[in-house]
Parts: sequence; structure tokens; C-alpha cells
Amino acid sequence: MAKVLEGPGMGLMKKWGIHVPHYAVVTSADELSKLGHVNDWMKQTKLVVKAHEALGSRFKLGLVKVGLDLNGAVAATKDMIGRQVGSITVSQVIVSEMVPHKEEYYCAVKSTREGAEILVANCGGIEVESNWERVKRLCLDVGQTPSPEQLEKLAKDAGFTGSIAKKMADFAGKMFSCFDNEDAQYLEVNPVVTRESDGELIALDAVTLLDGDAKFRHPDWNFQFAAEFGRAYSKDEMEVMAVDGKIKGSVKFIEIPGGDTAMLPAGGGASVYYSDAVVARGGKLANYAEYSGDPPDWAVEVLTEKVCSLPGIKNIIVGGAIANFTDVKKTFGGIINGFRKAKDDGKLKGVKIWVRRGGPREREGLDAMRALRDEGFDIHVFDRNTPLTDIVDKALQK
Amino acid sequence: MSILANKDTRVVIQGGAAGVNAARRMAEFCYLIKRPLNVEAFVYPPDAGKTNEIPYGSGLIAIPVYKTVAEATKNHPTINTSLVYIGADRAMRGGMEALDDPHIKVVSMITEGVPEKDAKLLGTHARKLGKVFNGPSSIGIISAGACRLGVIGGAFDNLVLSKLYREGSFGVITKSGGLSNEIIWICSQFADGITTAIGIGGDAYPGTDYVSYLEMFENDPQTKAVVIVGEMGGDLEERAAEWYGAKKRRVKLIGVVSGFCQESLPKGMKFGHAGAKEGMKGEGSARSKSDALKKSGAIVPPTFGALGPAIKDTYQELLKSGHVKEIIEPITLPKLPKTIEEAMKADEVMVAPLIRTTISDDRGDEPCYDGYPASELINKGYEIPHVIGLLWDKRLISKQEAEIIKRIMMLSADHGPCVSGAYATILAACAGIGLSQAVAAGLIMIGPRFGGAVTDAGRWFKHAVDNRMTVEDFLAYMKKNVGPVPGIGHRVKSLRNPDKRVKELVGYVKSLHIKTPCLDFALAVEQVTAAKKDNLILNVDGTMAAVLVDLGFPVDSLNGFFILSRTIGLIGHWVDQKRQDSRLIRLFDYLVNYAAPKRREVPPLK
Repeated sequence: MAKVLEGPGMGLMKKWGIHVPHYAVVTSADELSKLGHVNDWMKQTKLVVKAHEALGSRFKLGLVKVGLDLNGAVAATKDMIGRQVGSITVSQVIVSEMVPHKEEYYCAVKSTREGAEILVANCGGIEVESNWERVKRLCLDVGQTPSPEQLEKLAKDAGFTGSIAKKMADFAGKMFSCFDNEDAQYLEVNPVVTRESDGELIALDAVTLLDGDAKFRHPDWNFQFAAEFGRAYSKDEMEVMAVDGKIKGSVKFIEIPGGDTAMLPAGGGASVYYSDAVVARGGKLANYAEYSGDPPDWAVEVLTEKVCSLPGIKNIIVGGAIANFTDVKKTFGGIINGFRKAKDDGKLKGVKIWVRRGGPREREGLDAMRALRDEGFDIHVFDRNTPLTDIVDKALQK
Repeated sequence: MSILANKDTRVVIQGGAAGVNAARRMAEFCYLIKRPLNVEAFVYPPDAGKTNEIPYGSGLIAIPVYKTVAEATKNHPTINTSLVYIGADRAMRGGMEALDDPHIKVVSMITEGVPEKDAKLLGTHARKLGKVFNGPSSIGIISAGACRLGVIGGAFDNLVLSKLYREGSFGVITKSGGLSNEIIWICSQFADGITTAIGIGGDAYPGTDYVSYLEMFENDPQTKAVVIVGEMGGDLEERAAEWYGAKKRRVKLIGVVSGFCQESLPKGMKFGHAGAKEGMKGEGSARSKSDALKKSGAIVPPTFGALGPAIKDTYQELLKSGHVKEIIEPITLPKLPKTIEEAMKADEVMVAPLIRTTISDDRGDEPCYDGYPASELINKGYEIPHVIGLLWDKRLISKQEAEIIKRIMMLSADHGPCVSGAYATILAACAGIGLSQAVAAGLIMIGPRFGGAVTDAGRWFKHAVDNRMTVEDFLAYMKKNVGPVPGIGHRVKSLRNPDKRVKELVGYVKSLHIKTPCLDFALAVEQVTAAKKDNLILNVDGTMAAVLVDLGFPVDSLNGFFILSRTIGLIGHWVDQKRQDSRLIRLFDYLVNYAAPKRREVPPLK
């Protein structure tokens, strides 16, 4: 699941024959005024300026400005670039033409277990949310392409009539082509509008989620994927992501500001059960993390350093199930090195460490962890005979 | 009984190193349950025609590698299952190839990061053919006492601890590979163990979902209860609940779902698995899933920690109702043979070593020469002659001795292109031969007539000094028993045309005022021999030999000094020819005396 910002999203739609407004992504007001000299549309139409970042509710934040002339757009750009919203600094804006229109419609394609479904409604904007029953669907099996007849029937079912039904069917077909060929998981245009000048259907706003795993067959995906939780990735998160991309196995790290229980568990599945156990016990997570697939010890060491650097933590949960092939001694070696480094840097003062694990070379790994007690770590080590999440109960006992 | 994988399962593994590793784990399981290895073939085009060696007990089994699945099944018609360990960008093609093979009924894909569209196409294709496609991102499938597919079940000790050598009563279906062993372990501790455990993978759209496997478990009389381990995202758990609640089912269902923490975390947070993501409108949340399961009549422990006791209660009920009987454990189980290293560590075997070394050891973080770490020698100002002293004579020589050795080496590094050694190396270089072979060709020349007189000279001078011989006695002895004195005589140098290198070396050693009995004797011999014949002077080999014996180096090491220092020159000659891009050379006719018979007719064959 990889979110794509509006600019590249529009680019993909354009590639598959969907009409989109004229637009440009700029990084400074200066750049926009230069573009204004050579792009007639910037001078002939009213413009919309939006912050081009992975932010929710931009409208409320004043990061969307509509109905501007070029000078107004340059001023709005100047105003937005460099604005701080939480951890995000606005570094790009997308400037697009205002398309005067009367009617608004809705069209989306989403992934389903069997394949995909195309969603169409003859209302759009926020109206769709409150009239969800008006959305009509066409379900398709994977590998199946919708026929013009099916698309037309879908448009008519959704209440489109006459020539507009034909146009909507055609629009939905192009949306499906884009979805299918670009390995998308979700594609939504809200609103779809009729351009008054020529009656063409235009995609005014795009939400694009692509399948990041398919990147290998899309050499033209030259854009960055955006963070999916309304904030930018932190430096430490980026560093762990960079390591993750380089290794066999995986390491993951997401910070949750304000928590006091740090997580360093093994396994994509077990890590979530550990997080659940912390929340169920009334603890506050300081992060989400996991390592799995027998990653190299140095990668686990990097992850450990990041976890130890989290501010205000009281406990670290080094949990894990009984591994299939992850070498416990080796990965614990990485964690131990990380702990020692953190301690040498004056971290981990008053922090309790809780360990539970099983798997190949579990005894050697757990013995090495236990030996940290002699180095002055406040560490508590348990083996497979202690149930998985019991260390969380022990750590958070009041 | 079991589902999906049983005693008749025969496997082809598609992929390289990861597949071989899985086969090794599978062989451990086969050994534990005393059955032959169930892996029949590998498919991995780069290694086609080779075999992969899989340890089984204390032996090795060679499993052939083929280019295509069709080739593998043609040669091994009993194959009915494929495990796919191919990279994400080629996994779909590999999976389709296996599905399309008429012999193969089950394909389990271990590959992670397979695009969703590919996974869906594989799943759909399998259903169309009436076959099972499991995965992607599957940790594997294991049926206790019958069959292991992949690395699920972990290390050998864990197989034993989790009682996987015999059937229990619990089925397991899990998205998480890491948790599969945990559940198997819990089932073996709180109940009588498992029938089959399946990793369906943590992707958004697994090829086969809970429901298909629940149906199979429902039809397997040995399975009395099924544990499903789910997580937020998608609707597979809801579908399982729907199936369970649809009518009275024979199997009991126990389910846990993870992801409650999402309720107090930033929206859109990504977890470890691709499929662990909530829908747009809160569908697929942990709460909605566990509520659905509860409603269907499944047992849903409030936390993962409560799963063990829940399984225990279910097992006790089954015992009470007579659906299951207590299992008597076998008294003895095969033990996995230890590797030599493991057995030695446990003081269980004593191995007679094959070779013995007394000079160096590189098992630590750096090589040690005669016990001294190399870096420490460097940092304390020692030099190459000291390393020679340590490795050839096991002693740390003095600064003075090192200086003598350095000079000896500098003097004999090279003697021009015309001598046998250099000429052989040049000849080889011009023939396009590589560095090490060309240098070896030069070194091969070192022997009794070229450069190899050092050891012999040292031996006889030492013999004379040790036996307190006079020069006359020595020369008589040599004439009678050995022949010309090694180290005496030169082809071009003579008393009137002395060898400057010998003068240098003798002068320097003498200036140190150290005891040099051998050198003194050699010089005394020269006095006598040179008086007889002008060119019977003490040559470089003889001088080096006498000096080195005086320094205490063993006679057998003496030629080493010449070999080592002349190697410098030989490398130089090879590089020199390369640099000039020299062409192949052959001897000119005029340099050969053709003394063979003149041309004549061949008589008829009799």
C-alpha cells in the first residue's frame, strides 16, 4: 500500500487518457511566476493552489486557496511554502486550473478479493458521503476487463442518462485501465465534473494508492511514496526504512510521540499482539517496531539504537514468539550491541528491559541477554515457558 | 489424519538457496518421524543438471535440480506439491508453471512482496483448476507426524518440544509465520498438540483463506478444534465467522485477532504485514473481527495471553466427552546427529587432528605469528624479517639480525633476465600465462644448479664447523662423498673480478663483531679453492648460507631466503612483460644445434 500525492496521481491518470485540469507542482513562488510567462492557461483561467504534502484536511489548515489569478497564486504559494504543520514542512504546492462546472459526479476503482470493483455515482463532492446508497458497483474478477456494455449499464444504473451516460462509461473504463495497468489498489476521483467549454468529463481531484510491491515492473514510477498517517517520516524512521530496503528479512520502526513503553519485538504478527497487550494493560506505546525473517545483526542493532533513543521511556519490550528460522543468538547479538552503545551514550537510565523469545539457538541468545545483568542493565529474561505477552503484564504491573 | 500435507506428499522446490535451506529443515523432520525425505527435486535454471546435497541423519542425499517443473515431474512422477521460493518479480511465473503441471495439486508460495494482482491471478487460476494455492508470504504447512513443507516448526529441538512427531487434535491456521510455532507450542503444552498447522501468509489477499481450510478441517475426523490467529485488515476473519455461524459445525473454533492497539494509534499506521490495514470506514478492525467471531459461537479469548488457558479448557472438554484420548508419548525419539563442532563443544567426542601447526593461528580477530598479533608487531616497529624469523624459526630475532636478513633479501631480489628463473618467467609471460603460474615457472628453476645451493652450502659448512674439520679435511671429505663444494664457484666472477654483493655482505656482518664461525670457515675454504682455480670463490649462495647458519636459522629454511627474495624479481619480470604487451617468443633456429638425423624415407609397416 503506497500513497501517491496528487501531482504524480494526476500524471498517471493523464497517461491513461483521463482528462485532468492543467496543473504544475512547484517548489517556490519564483518558479511559478516563471511558469506563468510560458503557460497560457495560468493567465487565462482562475487557479487553485494546494499544499502538495501528505496532509489531511488541508482545507481547514488554510492550505487550499481557490479562485486566484496568477498574482494571487504566486502570493498564496509564497505564503504556503515553508509552513510548518506538525512535523511536516510544506515544500511543494500544486497549482491547477479552476474548472467551472455545475454538476459533480463520483468514480472510483478499488481492489477486492476477487479482483476489483468500479464505483460510480451521479453525485459528487461531500454529497457522496451522505448518499452512499446512490453509489453503484460493477464487480470484476482479476484479469477481467469491463466491456463497454457493462460500463454503460453501470452508468445508467447510477442514474446517468443520454450522452453523459456514454461519457461516464468511457471515463470509468479509463479509470479501470489506469487502475489495472498501474498496479493500483485504490483510485478515486471526487468530483468528476463536466467542463463547460467542451462538455468533457474532467477528474478534479485524485486519491491514488498503488501496490508498492509492484514497483519492479514500473520503471516510470519516479515519485516518492507519501507517508500514510498525515505526517512526514522522522529522521530515525527514514534511517530504519533505508536499512529495511537493503537487507534480507525486515526491520520496521514508527515513532508514537508521548509514549513510555518502547517496543522491540520480533515478527510482523507477534509485534501487533505485543502492542495490543500494552494498550490493554493501560500502557502508552512509544513506538511500533518489528524485525523478522532472520535479518543481519547489524540491522537489528540499528533498530535497537533508535528504540533506545525514544524520549521518556520506562520499559523496553524485547518480545518474540518461537522463531522458525530467525537465529535468536545472532539477532540478540545485534540488540545487545545496541543496548551497550545506548548505555555508553548515557541512555537507558532507569529503563527496565523485558525479554521473551524462543527459536533456533534460543538458549545461547537468552543466556547472552541474561549476562547483561552483570553489566548493570535492569534486564529481565524469560524463555518459551513464559507465555508470549506475559512480559508486558510484568512490565506494566503497578 | 491431517489436511493438505500428508505421508504421500512429494515435493518439488522452486528456487535457490532459500529452497535448499527449507529442504534441510524438511529433512530434519523426516528424520524425526523416521520417513524418507519427501523432497524429490528442485527447479532452479541456473543450477540445472547439478544436485543439491541435503543432510539426512548423518548422511547426505543428492537431490537433482531441473530447469523446469515439467522436467522435474517427468522424472519424478510422484511429485504432487510445489514450494515456491522464487523472488517476487518472477514468483507469479513460477507459481503458474507449477499450477499448470498436471502432477501438482498444491502450490505453497513462500515469497514475500508479491504484487497483489499476481497473488489474485494465482489464486483464481488455482481455483479454476481445482487446486490449492497457498500464500504468498506463507511460512509453510506442517502435519504432525506426517509432513513438513518449509521451515515452519523451527529448529529440531522445537519439533520435539512441540510434539510434532505425532498427531494431536488441534488444527491451526495463521496469517503470521512467526506466531505459527507459538500456537503449535501452546497446543502441545495446554493440549495434545496439532494435526496440521498452516501459514496462509499476511498479505491482503491470501490465495486460500480461512474458510477453505476450515472446511477441510471440518472433514478431517482427527481434528477436533481449530485455532485461527488473525489480525486487523481485510475480511477473512469475518468470512470465517460467517462460515462457522452458518450451521452447526463438528469442530470447535478458537480465534484471536490482533490490532486492538489501532484504536489508540494514529490512523493509517502500517504494521508488519501487507494485509494489516484497516478499511476506509473502520471495517476490518480487530474489534469488528473478534465481535463477529464471538457472535458465530467461536471461543475468543480477550487477549493473546488468554489463548493457552482457552485451548486447555477446550482440550479438557474434549477429554471429558471422550472425543479425544490421552496420548502416551513414545519412549525414545531419534536424536538429530550433532555436527562435529557441537559434539566437541559438549565434550562428547575426541577428534584426532589431521594436521598440527606450531607457527600461526588466525581463528581470533586477527592472525597471530607464533602467538604475537600481527597488528601489534606492526605498531611496535617490527618488520618483515621479524615475521620471517617468527614463521621460519619461531623466534623473535634482534634488530641486528633483522638488518642482516633485510640486506640478504635486497641483494638477491633479482639478477637480471638471463638467469634460468627470470628467463622462465619471461618466457611464460610472453606466452600469455598468468602471474602465479609464470612466477611458479621461474621458481621451479631453483634447484641444485640455480639459486638452490644455499641450503646445501649451509648444510656442509655447518657439518664442517660442527665436526671441527680443518679446511683440508673438509675438501677431501667433500671430494670423496659429495662432489663440488656448494656455495663455492661462480660462472663469471673470479678473484680478479670479485662479486661486490659478497664483499658487501661479508663486510657488514664482520663490522658487527658477532660470532660467525660458519662464515669464517667458508672464507677459509675460499682461500684454498680460489688459489687452485681463479673462479672458485665464495659465491652469494655460500655467503648467505654461512651467515644465516651463524644467525641460527635451520638449514632446511635457507633456500627459502632465496625463493622469497627472488619472487620479488620474478613478479617484476612478469609485470614488466605485461606492461610492454610482449608477444609470444620462440627460440631462433641459429641458437639451436640441430644434431638430429637427416630426413629419410619411412619404411613400410611390417
